[in-house]
Amino acid sequence: MTTLIEAPPTDADGLLPSKKKSSGGGLGQYILIRFLLIFPTILILVTMVFFLMRITGDPITAALGGRLPPEQLAERITAAGYDRPILVQYFEYLGQLLTGNFGTTLSDNRQVTEMLTTYGSATLELTINALLVALLVGIPLGMIAAHRRDKAPDAVLRIFAILCYATPVFFSGLLFKLTFSVWLGWLPVAGRAKTSSELELTSLQAPTGIYWLDAVRSGNMAALGDVTAHAVLPALALGLLTAGIFLRLVRTNVIGTLGKDYVEAGRSRGVSEFRLVTKHAYKPALIPIITVMGLQIAVLLGGAVLTETTFEWKGLGFQLATYLTARDFVAVQGIVVLLAVIVAVTNFIVDIVAALIDPRVRY
Amino acid sequence: MAMNKKALHSAIALAGVSAFALTACTGPSGGGGTSTGSAGGGTITYGTTDKVVTLDPAGSYDAGSFMVMNQIYPFLLNAKPGTADATPDIAESAEFTSPTEYTVKLKSDLKFANGHALTSSDVKFSIDRVVSIADDNGPASLLGNLESVTAKDDSTVVFKLKAGNDQVFPGVLAANAGPIVDEEVFPADKLMSDDEIVKGKPFAGPYTIESYKKNELVSLKVNPDYKGLLGKPANDGASIKYYADSNNLKLDVQQGNIDVAGRSLTATDAADLEKDSKVTVHKGPGGELRYIVFNFDTMPFGAKTAEADPAKALAVRQAMANVVDRDAIATQVYKGTYLPAYSVVPDGFVGAIQPLKEMYGDGSGKPSLDKAKKAFSDAGVTAPVNIKLQYNPDHYGKSSGDEYAMIKEQLEKSGLFKVDLQSTEWVTYSKDRTKDVYPVYQLGWFPDYSDADNYLTPFFVPGNFLKNHYENPTVTDLITKQLTTVDKAEREKVLGDAQTAVAKDLSTLPLLQGAQLMVAGKDVKGVEKTLDASFKTRLGVISK
Repeated sequence: MTTLIEAPPTDADGLLPSKKKSSGGGLGQYILIRFLLIFPTILILVTMVFFLMRITGDPITAALGGRLPPEQLAERITAAGYDRPILVQYFEYLGQLLTGNFGTTLSDNRQVTEMLTTYGSATLELTINALLVALLVGIPLGMIAAHRRDKAPDAVLRIFAILCYATPVFFSGLLFKLTFSVWLGWLPVAGRAKTSSELELTSLQAPTGIYWLDAVRSGNMAALGDVTAHAVLPALALGLLTAGIFLRLVRTNVIGTLGKDYVEAGRSRGVSEFRLVTKHAYKPALIPIITVMGLQIAVLLGGAVLTETTFEWKGLGFQLATYLTARDFVAVQGIVVLLAVIVAVTNFIVDIVAALIDPRVRY
Repeated sequence: MAMNKKALHSAIALAGVSAFALTACTGPSGGGGTSTGSAGGGTITYGTTDKVVTLDPAGSYDAGSFMVMNQIYPFLLNAKPGTADATPDIAESAEFTSPTEYTVKLKSDLKFANGHALTSSDVKFSIDRVVSIADDNGPASLLGNLESVTAKDDSTVVFKLKAGNDQVFPGVLAANAGPIVDEEVFPADKLMSDDEIVKGKPFAGPYTIESYKKNELVSLKVNPDYKGLLGKPANDGASIKYYADSNNLKLDVQQGNIDVAGRSLTATDAADLEKDSKVTVHKGPGGELRYIVFNFDTMPFGAKTAEADPAKALAVRQAMANVVDRDAIATQVYKGTYLPAYSVVPDGFVGAIQPLKEMYGDGSGKPSLDKAKKAFSDAGVTAPVNIKLQYNPDHYGKSSGDEYAMIKEQLEKSGLFKVDLQSTEWVTYSKDRTKDVYPVYQLGWFPDYSDADNYLTPFFVPGNFLKNHYENPTVTDLITKQLTTVDKAEREKVLGDAQTAVAKDLSTLPLLQGAQLMVAGKDVKGVEKTLDASFKTRLGVISK
């Protein structure tokens, strides 16, 4: 009878199956295929953005159509080269992208690449912070909900999860701002740092533009504290959006894992429910989280537009909103393409990590 | 195995704690302030929702850009804080040496922050450059009376004027056209980008730019070589922080994250802040004028429209002037922080009259639908007339949206107009408006110098700042005459005639005039010194 439940020797409670060494033969091929898939993915995205944004015509007409006398409109269209066949423009645009040239913004005459590098780091910082919030809130609460399945805490957490992903980020952002900044005065209202910290961090040699990283690199703990304080509310507003999804996902997966034979066996041996959840059920439950995390990057980047606008977090989302209002076609296209690249690359990384954790996904 | 894992976890935790402790030890002992270490009033931070169009004096004529220019560029003449009179700044003397010659002598040993000497050649270069580039958004129109500039020697500049005894020319040199730039840095025939300007350090004003993130954060350092009228700043340095949302600006000054909040706070904000014990609301004389501009080519019945008819176009403007209720806008939208304006020159300036009060509406400043209908019927205009009305949501304060919603409501309620209300962000707006993009649109004006002329010359002479294709030789003559009339009483009369003539043509429709407003922390001193009739924000007088 004892042979029915194989007792692996790898953990203290003797529940988990032993890890068989993967042949590893498929991993290299898997990574290569995933890597090569990045390029068509980005190409499709770039192509879609390029053509979709021209559905309403050229950028000059889109921005000024109906408001500029026809002859002046034509002059400006010709000067900008938008009167040429669209395919010529498309291939020229692709050629420019390959050389890292995203063009010049229409509204304030800036190099789009310069704008992207300046503001990209701010958005990256916000996204990382939000992802941390999502993980730190979503995973433990999901495990608690699973552990207390169908009891009061579970019900409360499930409602909390629904609220998290159903509440628009600008609404939660304003609510947080009102509560923690205006009424309680605990946290800053807006921006990425106090003026003094911002000046110190931007004056560093080769700053990364990710303030907390620059603060740590320079050993400036006062600035780090300030930057962290400024990051809390935007990260919460954006991170909770994804935390709700993680919470539900972890809960479902942990509940599923808790029904497995080896966990049942553990129960029958008298291993506590808490230990079963925290020690044995969480690992298998995390694999889908990692996959979903890749998809959530796109959600977070989309949410960054609203979060950055609400908190004057001057990143790509803030700029995107500004350029959209100014109908700056070139700038918008540049930002959207960069965001597409980030999403594609992130998904690639996530696929690799998932493959390393769970060899089954390689096949 | 279990022991090994525990050891690994402990090692990671220990390493983390050690790294944190080490970095903490290397951090600054202070609070991370921006003090440069010199004695004085510390550094101050000024917040604004204004935006910089360009730091190149030849390419901008807006309050946001000029605010920064006032800190970094030197002027031959300037207004001493608390006054509006143009007196020598980096000049040793400045005077009319003949009716058409204005001679300026520079102080000795002037230099830019990059080490280049500042001589009369730079002065000639700076002024000539503004005229020759003549950018659509630049201040070239201010120099309409200038014939030529001559650098007689290293320290002497002679301005030859077309019309003699130009009473406002000294004021012009203290205004947007007057910043002196380094001829070794700036190109003579085209605008320079902000980043290139910052790199070239062509600064010789009270401050130099230490770091620059356009429309985000500008850090200013005291310029020890500045020898001008404004003297050494009362602070150790200053920062200008830019906001997109005036709510955030308001909350940041309340929380002490910035020291001073200037411009673009709404009336509701001002009323609210006056009750806050942590801040002080400072008010100064208001030269701000808010008005609607008509593009004579593209407005309904404009010269380049299919149904071009000057009489009908005038009737449209007259009907709008008759229908609009300024008092309602001032009280309902601006809670009394603005007053109705019935002239293109705000009430209170020497020579200001209120011709629109009698000419339009019920004669007392209130609207009159009957007069508006009569204007239409006299000119044969069929109602409703479609108006594409543009306003800007980020440059003249958030209440612009409410202001123009109310104007739309007033116009449409009359039954004479159908209004298509549109808005565009300032960076695009400021360019598009000079390119005939907007037929009827909002503008506001903060004067460059305290003289009624500053509300006339830039707007109503040929080739004016508005580029709205308005020309009237009578108006041009009157404006030219007031410029050169030495007798004060006579000049006031001419100024009145010019306002009446402009009110008849209605190339712009004045709506409101307002006060200057700044909000500062209780520990901030000197704000009131810069809220004078020169309408220049001088950060050097502010300290804490």
